[in-house]
Parts: sequence; structure tokens; C-alpha cells
Amino acid sequence: MKLDPRTKLFMVFVVSLIVMMSATTPFLWAIRLSITLIPIILMILEKKYSSALKFLLAYASALVLTFYFLSEKSEGLIASLLIGYCGIVVQFMPAIITAWYVVRTTKIGEFMSCMQKMHVPDGIAVSLAVVMRFFPTIKEEYSSINDAMRMRGVMLGGGNVLRMFEFRMIPLLFSCVNIGEELSAAAITRGLGGEGKRSSVIELKLGLADYLLMTFLTAATVIFVVFKYFL
Amino acid sequence: MSIVELENVNFQYKGSKDGSLNNINLNIEKGQTVLLCGASGSGKTSIIRLINGLIPHYYSGELEGNITVAGHDVRKTELHELAGTVGTVFQNPRSQFFSVDTDGEIAFGPENIGLEPKEIKSRLNDVVAEMDLDELLGRSIFDLSGGQKQRIACASVAALLPDIILLDEPSSNLDFDSIELLRGTILEWKRQGKTIIISEHRLWYLKDAVDRVIYMENGVMEKEWTGEEFKGLSEEEVKSFKLRPIVLEEELISDIRGESASSFCEAENNIELKDFFFSYKRRPYLLFKKKFKESDGDLLNLNIPALKIPKGKVIGLVGPNGTGKSTFLRCLCGLEGDCKGKIVFDGKTYKGRQILKICYLVMQDVNHQLFTDSVKSEVMLSMKDEDETRCNEILESLGLLEYKDTHPMALSGGQKQRVAIASAIASGAEILLFDEPTSGLDYLHMEKVGELLNELASTGASVIVSTHDPELISECCDYVLGIKHGKAVYLKENKRLS
Repeated sequence: MKLDPRTKLFMVFVVSLIVMMSATTPFLWAIRLSITLIPIILMILEKKYSSALKFLLAYASALVLTFYFLSEKSEGLIASLLIGYCGIVVQFMPAIITAWYVVRTTKIGEFMSCMQKMHVPDGIAVSLAVVMRFFPTIKEEYSSINDAMRMRGVMLGGGNVLRMFEFRMIPLLFSCVNIGEELSAAAITRGLGGEGKRSSVIELKLGLADYLLMTFLTAATVIFVVFKYFL
Repeated sequence: MSIVELENVNFQYKGSKDGSLNNINLNIEKGQTVLLCGASGSGKTSIIRLINGLIPHYYSGELEGNITVAGHDVRKTELHELAGTVGTVFQNPRSQFFSVDTDGEIAFGPENIGLEPKEIKSRLNDVVAEMDLDELLGRSIFDLSGGQKQRIACASVAALLPDIILLDEPSSNLDFDSIELLRGTILEWKRQGKTIIISEHRLWYLKDAVDRVIYMENGVMEKEWTGEEFKGLSEEEVKSFKLRPIVLEEELISDIRGESASSFCEAENNIELKDFFFSYKRRPYLLFKKKFKESDGDLLNLNIPALKIPKGKVIGLVGPNGTGKSTFLRCLCGLEGDCKGKIVFDGKTYKGRQILKICYLVMQDVNHQLFTDSVKSEVMLSMKDEDETRCNEILESLGLLEYKDTHPMALSGGQKQRVAIASAIASGAEILLFDEPTSGLDYLHMEKVGELLNELASTGASVIVSTHDPELISECCDYVLGIKHGKAVYLKENKRLS
């Protein structure tokens, strides 16, 4: 399935919005759950079956924990850790997974073209595109650094949490700064940053899937907000 | 008519002496192909940057003199105005891509200068046809090999139709066959009448393509040859200029391409490798991972049931890119947990996590494996029991003692490499693995790395070094191990070593 980047951006927005707002009635929960299905479907579309299953299990267990074992009156260390865990899984994970899907499936060219269609200034569009371009680079660099740490047996920083963090961050920052510098030099020599308007070879068109999904997302948002605040 | 004119140019980077230029006068005619050679830091890259305007617009410093490129006064011309005139292919394929997909990358330049989508598409098609890139279209940049990335980089520069094309050490990360393709691209550009300026350490692939060769030393244009004169230089002359060789032996070429005849020589003292199987393609599994076996055949990226490697020697690991050299190194040092290989030597068998303790990989980008804030603590980190005298000994032997308290990131590339080696020795590793330690190095630095590898072997360590540098093999490797399609195809003694 091929979605327009505009639909994808709207999807990230709606998923984060609805998942973040607290659902108070069973009906609101139903909407929220159906929205949470979106990231699961996306993972299946991307053939990440085991991740989809893991997320489904984590989500279900977090829900069960929240409803049956935890309440506002829970106290103690374990309960508070569990509340934190459930909150992250239930409220943040769906949005993170959706964002991951968008970054993974959107080409930089499509993204730039989408930004132009939405009349976002080139400066902002380029900066956002660079951020998108950097995710896979950071991942690549990070995994090399992890390998190096494993080889030296310092994965746990000698039991020191701060060093564990430091050992990963320092090489990562150095290499990202270097790559960033070379990257922008290369981009400038190919005309990035000129005064003329950029053009775009990719022509975006909203398809049936886009309209359907947008309608569904808009309807879900409207119903959720109306039922939560006005009824 | 001169298309590039440098007149009495002096330049010095802000805060650094390296790469400064001294009284450069250079006229390049339209359609000429010029090679810039010389040691690292001799100013080759600075000249490239003067012509594409990155000096003074991106890298600042003190600049004197006049630079005229295709009628533009570079100092007064904005960088993006030069974009349609001058194109640059950079050294590191990893950091010159703006897009994540190949099509987007080729279209990126034309989009920047605001061409019509129709025009961009026709240019894209032209470039793809010219450079035979069909099979690379629609792919993610991150899935391409170094050679493929460099071809896309060339295409994305060509799509802007520049009259002048600059290449800054373009072959550094390429294997033999990719360099041949690069040469083809350069010859095609030459045929189209483009002006080409190349800064390079590897010279053999350019000898028939260049019209002029300029030798740089300490920021000065020290010598100039015509293409014909350059081809006629003797081996000794080339060596006296500290340049890499111009001509390669046939046998060396077939060795390095993994094309030599299959044969395995025997040594007295061996390290035995057993059951090294690995694949990046995981099969579906439910509860436990399936062990890779020899019978998995074509699925395997690494398929070495048994291999004997001479102990205490320097072994050059060769073969084309993407056929298993890096996988072999990663499995050998225990980084791929799914590879259940065993290493046997001195009567002991090592497997699983024990392998991590006796093998140590010095990565191509050593920046990834330096973590602490001083050279000394870097070495101490690798020791099980911190022992300062031993640490000093190691640093002394690698000539690093005076940098003991320096931050590793403040050192030069070669010094960083030695710090990584120091921590490898400190960790007690007996098998040292090097992943392309000399790519992008000039002759002198390459020779130094070679000497260092030999020294390590003379202290009893076994050194396995993956490389595309024929020069490194001929000068320092005792043996050559060829890998192709994940299999060991030959182990030969290097007879060039006397």
C-alpha cells in the first residue's frame, strides 16, 4: 500500500493526539483501541511480524495491568514502576511506531515534495529532511559503536551507568558531527541553498486509500473530542 | 582557453597548518584531465576545494590571490551559482548522500537549481543509460556497497551537467573491480570533453587517462609531468616521490580480486578454524534459532567448515567487496553470536564468548572504538587488572607514550589506529584483525602500517588484515587468503617478501 506523505503526517498527528488523551468511558476506549490498531497494521504491512506480535502482547499486558491491578491509589516501588511501564507502552509506543513507519517508508524526495505542496519554507523543509536522513546514519554508527563495546567487554560501562552512556555518546557525537559536516559540504556543492525555488521530480497525488484513511482519522478525532468534552 | 585559473594563491586553514597552500599558479585548459598526487596534507584536497568554492565559502582561512573558474571569480561567487558548472565527487561515499534512495539522489542536484520535473526525468534517464545504472535504481543507499555508492555519487554529479568535474580521492573505499568501473566513468567524461581534476593516492588506474600530473609537497606544486612522462617513470622514481606504484603485477591483481587458483599451503604452526557458518538472512524460527550448517549452502554468507591459518604471521585477506571478508572478520572476532565457529590453537579450543577475549578487531573507522578521555585510560580500560607499568610498556612500543594524557580524538588518524592497537594488545588478544586499515592512506603512511603489522606478528600475534591495497599485500603480508562467495578459495605464501 502506498500512502501520500501528507496522509502519513496527518496519521502521526491523529495517532499521537488520541492516544495521549485519556479515555474515560468504554466508548472512548473503543476509539482509542481502534486507533492503536493502526501501528500494528503498519508493522504487519512492513513485514515486521514478530515486532507486531511483541507489541500486541506488551500492549495487552499493559492494559490488563492498568485495569485490574493498578489504580490511582497504588503505592510502592513496584506499582510505580509498573505504572511507568504501562504509561509508556499504552501512551507513547503507538505514536513512536507510527512515526517509525513514516520515516521508514517515506523517501526524502517525497517528503520534500510534500513540504512544498504544503507551502512550508525551503529552509524548514531541508532541515527536517536532514533530520530524517540522519536516522539511519545514527543507527548505523550506533551499531558499530555497540560492536566495539562488545569486543572490549564494556557494554555495561564497568557497572557505571554514567560511563555506559558516555561510552556510547562520545564516539556517536564525534562521528555524527563529522558526517554532518561532510554531508552539508557535499549538498552545497550540488546547489542546495540557492535563492531560486527548488523543484521536485516527484508529483504527489492523493489516492483513494488516502481519502479513506483521512476521513476515518478525522471522524475518529471529531467523535473522540465531542464525546469527551461536549457530551 | 583556460577554464580554471589559480594565480599566486596562498591559503591557510584557520587554526591548522595542515593542507595549507603556498604560491600556487595553475592554469587548466578546457577538456584536460589533471591528476594531483602527493602525501596526505600536501594540499591536494585544498586545491579541489579552491576550485569548487568550498574554500573560502565553507572552510574558512586566510586566502590570497585570484581564483577564476569558468569565468567566475570564485571569491565573489556564491556556492550554489557554481553548482551547474563544477561538480565534486567526494572520498567518503557514506557522507555525500542527501537522499536515502538512489533515484532521489540523482535528482537532488537538478531539483536544487529548480529545473522542470520533465527535464530532470530526462536527465536522469540519460545518466542512467550512460553509466549503466539500471540495476541500482530504486534502492536504498544504505543497502549499497561502497563501489555502488560511488557510482551513484558520480551519476548525481553528472546529472547537473557540469563542465568541470572534481574527484577527491574517489577510489579510497573501492575494490579492484569498482575502481575499473570508476575508470570507465572518468574516460567517458573525458570523451565528452569535460575538464577533470582528480586528487588521488592510487595511481595505477589513472595512468592512461591523465594529460597532466601535478606532484604536491607541503602546499607547493613541486613537480609536473605530462601524461606520457608520468607513464614512463621507473619504479624507483615513483618510490622516491613516496607515491604508490603506477603499475601492478598481474599476479597481484588476480590475487586481490579473489581470482587466483584454488590451493592451500601448509605452515608448521597453525590456528584452526572450525564450523564458521553464518548468514544475514535469518530463517523464520519460533522458539530457538536454528544453527547454521554447511548443508545450508547458498543461504550462507560465510561458509568455512575448516581452515588452517599460519600462526604468528601477517595474513592478507582479499577478495571483492560484498563476498564475505567483513563477515569473516566479524564472525572470527565473535561479534556475530549466531556463528558457532570454534578456534583451536596451542592445544586449546575457544568458542562463543571466549573468542571475544582472544580476538580483537581494529575497525576501519577507529573513531568508533575510542571511548575515554585519554590515551592512557583507553589502554587501561582494556586490561582486566589495571597495570600501569604494562600500560606504559605498550604505549612505549607503539610510540605513543608522549601522548599518554592526550584526548584520543585530538590525535591524527594513524595515531588513533595505534591507540586502538594498544588497547587490543592490552586486552591480551592473540589474534588481531584489521578491517581495511590503509584505505585512503598515502604511500608513506601505508608503509608505516605495514611495518607495524610485521612488528605485531614478530611479537607472536597473528594478524589478519583485510585489504584492497595491492601495495600493502606485496610489502607486508606473509600469506594471502582469498575469500569469494563466503568460502575460502586459496591460501598462498607471498613470495615477494624477501
